[in-house]
Amino acid sequence: MTGQPGGGQPAPRDRNTVSGLSPTARNRRRPTFLRLLTIVARRDYLRAVRRRGFLFGTLLLPIGLGALLTISSYFSSSSLGGGSGPVSAGPTLVVNESALPVTVNPIIAPGFQLVDRNTAQSSLTAGKAKEFYLIPSPYPGDPEVERIEASARNQALEAVQRQQGQEQILDVILRNALLAEERISPQIAERVLDPAHVTARTIDGQPVTPGSEIASFLLPYAFTLLFVMSIFITSGYLLQSVTEEKENRVVEIVLSSVPALPLMAGKILGLGAVGLTQVVIWVATALVALPVLNQRLSLDVHISALTLVLAMIYFALGYLAYGAIFSAIGALAPGSREAQQYAGFFGFLAVVPLIFTGVFLTDLGSPIVWILALIPLSAPATMLQVLTLAPDPPLLQIALSLVSLGTFVVLATVASARVFRATLLLYGVRPSVGRIVGAVFARS
Amino acid sequence: MPALAPDAVPAAPDPSSGGVPAVVVAGVWKRFGTSDVVQDLSFDVHPGELLGFLGPNGAGKTTTMRMILDIIRPDRGSIEVFGGRPGAEHQSRVGYLPEDRGLYRDVPVIDTLTYFGALRGLSTSEARARARQLLEEVGLGDALKKKAAELSRGMHQKAQLVATIINEPDLLIVDEPFQGLDPLNAEMLKGVLIAQRDRGAAVVMSTHDMGDAQTLCDRILLIDQGRRLLYGTVAAVRAAFSDGAVEVVGRDIPTDPSAYQSVSHASAFDGTVRFLLRDGATPRELFRELANTSAQVDRFAVEAPDLNEIFIRAVAGDVRAEAVR
Repeated sequence: MTGQPGGGQPAPRDRNTVSGLSPTARNRRRPTFLRLLTIVARRDYLRAVRRRGFLFGTLLLPIGLGALLTISSYFSSSSLGGGSGPVSAGPTLVVNESALPVTVNPIIAPGFQLVDRNTAQSSLTAGKAKEFYLIPSPYPGDPEVERIEASARNQALEAVQRQQGQEQILDVILRNALLAEERISPQIAERVLDPAHVTARTIDGQPVTPGSEIASFLLPYAFTLLFVMSIFITSGYLLQSVTEEKENRVVEIVLSSVPALPLMAGKILGLGAVGLTQVVIWVATALVALPVLNQRLSLDVHISALTLVLAMIYFALGYLAYGAIFSAIGALAPGSREAQQYAGFFGFLAVVPLIFTGVFLTDLGSPIVWILALIPLSAPATMLQVLTLAPDPPLLQIALSLVSLGTFVVLATVASARVFRATLLLYGVRPSVGRIVGAVFARS
Repeated sequence: MPALAPDAVPAAPDPSSGGVPAVVVAGVWKRFGTSDVVQDLSFDVHPGELLGFLGPNGAGKTTTMRMILDIIRPDRGSIEVFGGRPGAEHQSRVGYLPEDRGLYRDVPVIDTLTYFGALRGLSTSEARARARQLLEEVGLGDALKKKAAELSRGMHQKAQLVATIINEPDLLIVDEPFQGLDPLNAEMLKGVLIAQRDRGAAVVMSTHDMGDAQTLCDRILLIDQGRRLLYGTVAAVRAAFSDGAVEVVGRDIPTDPSAYQSVSHASAFDGTVRFLLRDGATPRELFRELANTSAQVDRFAVEAPDLNEIFIRAVAGDVRAEAVR
C-alpha cells in the first residue's frame, strides 16, 4: 500500500553498508534504558559540579564556618591573653573628689585604681592611661561623673567597647559605695547589686544549659534552611538544564536519540546527585564544625543519626517533587526568564513553613503544623523543622507526610513526563491550559 | 568529496537490514487541537534511497518526521522503522538534523559531539575519536575545544552536521537542511547527503527548494494539509505532468494568463514565455488560442514542468497529480 502508486524504486546503486557494517556502525550498540539514563545523568552531573555557581554555593558554608571558628578562636585567645576584661589597654584611673567613701575591690573591678587628680593627669599626659574618671565634689547630689581623655579624636570601636565596660564597672563601684554609706548589711547590698541567678531545669530535673536554649532556635532554622536551599538549588539546576536545551535548540536532537523517560530520569538523577553532593559536603562540614562551635560558643547543638537519615529522605523526596514540577515548567515556559518566574511561585510554597516557625517553637501539635506536614510541597520544610524540634520523632506525622509526599512525587513525575514530552518542542509559545491538561491525562 | 566518507567497509553482511525498508508509514493520522496536521499518510523509504519530502509550510512534514523519530506518536496508523516500532530500539541507527538546531553554547564542541555519539550507541572513546575525525574532515580540527558560542555561523553548521552523522546512521532524517546555509556549506551538505545515500543509508529530506529536490532526490513525496499529493520518482512525477507546460518563443505574445482559456500561469523571460496549462487543458488548445492573437510564434514546445511548477499545480489540485498520488 505504502509504495503505491508512486512505488517506482530508484535504480540500485552501490551500497557499502547495507551489505556490510563499517567499523563505526559495527561498534554502535543499541543503548539500554540504563545506559542512556547513565549517560545523561553523568553528563549533567559533571556539567553542574564544574559550574562556578555550584563550587561557590557548596564551599560557602565550609568557608563561612571556618571563618566563624577562626574569629571565635581569635577572640577567645585575645581575651585569654589580655586577662583583665575591659581594661586591657592599661589601668583605669578613678579620681574621687566627692565626700562619698569610694573603694575599689580588685575582684569586682580588675584594673581599676583610685588616684588623685595630679597622678591621673600626669598618667594621661605620659600616655600611661588613655582616660580617667573624675567623681566631682557635688556627687551624689549631682550624678554627673566626668571621663577625661587625652584628645577628642574619634574613637575606634574597640575603645568604645572598652569604655562601656569601664562604665558598667564604675556603676558597680558607686552602687557599693552608696550602699555602704547607708550602712546596708553586706548580704542585702550584695542582693541589691546581684538580685538573682536563674538556673533552668527540665520537668524531670535535667539541667537546661543556655546553649541548648540557643540551639532550640538555631538548629531548626539552620537545618531547614540548609536542606530547603539545597532542594531549590538542585531543582534550579534541573530547570536550567531543561530551559537551556530548549533555548539552544538542542532538545530535538537529544530527543531523537533518547526517549523522553530516560532523558528526564537521567536529568533528575544526575542533578539530584549534584544536590546530594552539596548536602553531603554541608552535613559533613556541620558534623565536623559542630563540636568545635559547641565548645567555642557554649552551645549544645546536636543532630541525631535518625534525624539525618530522615532529613536525607525528605531532601530526596522534596527534590523529586520540585524536580518534577520544575522540569515541566522548563518544558512549558517559553524562555528561562518566564521559567524562573513560575518556579519562584513554587519556591514561596516551600518556605511557608519557615513563616510559621513561631508556631513550631510553641506547639508542634498545632493544626497548622499538621496541615503543612501533609501538604506535599510544604512537607519537606515542615518536617525538617519538626524533626529538629520534637524531643522524640513523631512517627505518625512522619509516616503520613512521607505517604503524602511520596504519592505526590509519583503522580507529579508521571504528569511532568507527559507535559515534558508534549510541550518541550514548542519554541517561544505558551502552551494553552487545555493542551497541558490534555497532555497530563493523555494515555501515551 | 573525501570529507565525511564512510569508513572502510568489511565484507561481512549486515544482518540487520537485509531487504527491510528503513521506514514504512501506513495510514498515519495526527491531530493537534482541532486540526488534523497529518491525514492518512502512507509512504516508505528504502536503504540507499533519498526521499524528498516536500510541501508548503504547515503541511505536516516536521510532524511526520518527529513521528518517525518517536518524538511524538501518531493518533492512528502505524510507523515501522527497520521493521520494528520506532523509538529506543532503533535510535542508535538514526541521525537527525532538525530545522531548529543548535549546540550547547558553553560546552566544547568535541564534548557535545561525544555526548551525542554516546547517546546514539557509541562508546565514549569511540564517539570522541569519531567526533575528532569528522571535525578534522570538515576543517574544524583547530576548533575541537572551542565552545559553540565561540564558533562562527559556518563552523556551527558544520559541527551540527557532524552531530547528525556521528553514529554513521542507517536512516538519516534532515529537516530543511539547506535553510540558512551559505553556498559553500550547502554544497558540502549536499555532498554529504549523497555520500550517505550512496553508502546505503536511507535519507529523508524535507525541503522547500525544488531545484535541490529535483537534483538530489530519488523519489519525492509531496504533502499538503497533511495529505499526500504526489509520490514517486522524480522522473515519474515529471512524466505525469509532461503536457502541463509549454514554452513559446516569438514576439507580441500576451503574457497575461487571463487572455487565455487554457492557461493558469505564464512567465516571460528573454523572449520566451512559459505557460502552465489549466487542469485538463491541452497544448493544442493553447496553440489555437495563440493563433487568434497577433503573436508571431517562432517556436512552440511542450515541456515537462520542473518540480517547482508541479508543486504549485499539485497544491492547486491539478488532476494530473492523481496518476502519481
